[in-house]
Amino acid sequence: MTGLIIATHGSLAEALLQACTSIIGPPATARSLAIDREDAVEEVRSRLAAAIDDVGRDGDGVLIMTDMFGGTPANLSLAFLNPGRVEVLSGVNLPMVLKFFNLPEGLSLGERAALLKAYGQQGITLASDFLKQ
Amino acid sequence: MSIVLVRIDNRLLHGQVLEAWVPAVNANCIVVANDQAAAAPFQRTLMEAAVPRGIKVVVDSVVGSAQILRRGELDAYRVLLLYATSQDALAGFRQGVEFAELNLGNMHAGAGKMKLSCTIALAPEDIENLQQLEARGVRIVSQCIPADRGRGWKKLLSDNGS
Repeated sequence: MTGLIIATHGSLAEALLQACTSIIGPPATARSLAIDREDAVEEVRSRLAAAIDDVGRDGDGVLIMTDMFGGTPANLSLAFLNPGRVEVLSGVNLPMVLKFFNLPEGLSLGERAALLKAYGQQGITLASDFLKQ
Repeated sequence: MSIVLVRIDNRLLHGQVLEAWVPAVNANCIVVANDQAAAAPFQRTLMEAAVPRGIKVVVDSVVGSAQILRRGELDAYRVLLLYATSQDALAGFRQGVEFAELNLGNMHAGAGKMKLSCTIALAPEDIENLQQLEARGVRIVSQCIPADRGRGWKKLLSDNGS
């Protein structure tokens, strides 16, 4: 099973998994990783490495979702980028996280990451646009 | 008709339904049987937009949705049917929508209601309506999301001192 890590500023990652639990139940093979401004870079890097080992133990690859491209969680995650084995997807949102747990089996890590990127983007809507249709 | 889940959920179409129940029962059609939603074009549009492509959405009144289901228009689909209240579910059943099991999803607390679980609170009218459905052979199970354990409503009622 593909592993999931959500790495964000503060407790956003943990909150996303909590929200996920209330909607679809306890998420399997997922870890949240909180990065605060007082955290040392090396310490965060070793937490990321440990989380990758943990959720990646099946050998089916690991997807790291981060909150913002260019932010520290994404920057530090990028050091682990290894196409096909570790992918980094930024701009995490709840639709994207939920969909991770509802993807069909048999997809490669790269296919999963691409689908989730599209799904997360589709999850962004401006309600008043629907009035113009 | 091929109804795969009938649920009472006062939130109607929302995350638990779309992300948890639709895949769990492999539904490809959601019927929202609700008079208010059917009469509110903007709400209908938003509901239709919230559902993933490939899943048909029908928003109609309780009576209108029963007619559609009875006429067999959705026989080719695996239908997930949503009612907001026990009153609507009973009305749908009386209008000829046949179902053997009814899922209690979200019926939130309010004054004068008996709380059965964190998401289910029943008013005396709810208990009457559900009893009528049960008397007609419907099994009534409280289960908010598929990951929760389904529990018979009578057991919850007796556990809560009624």
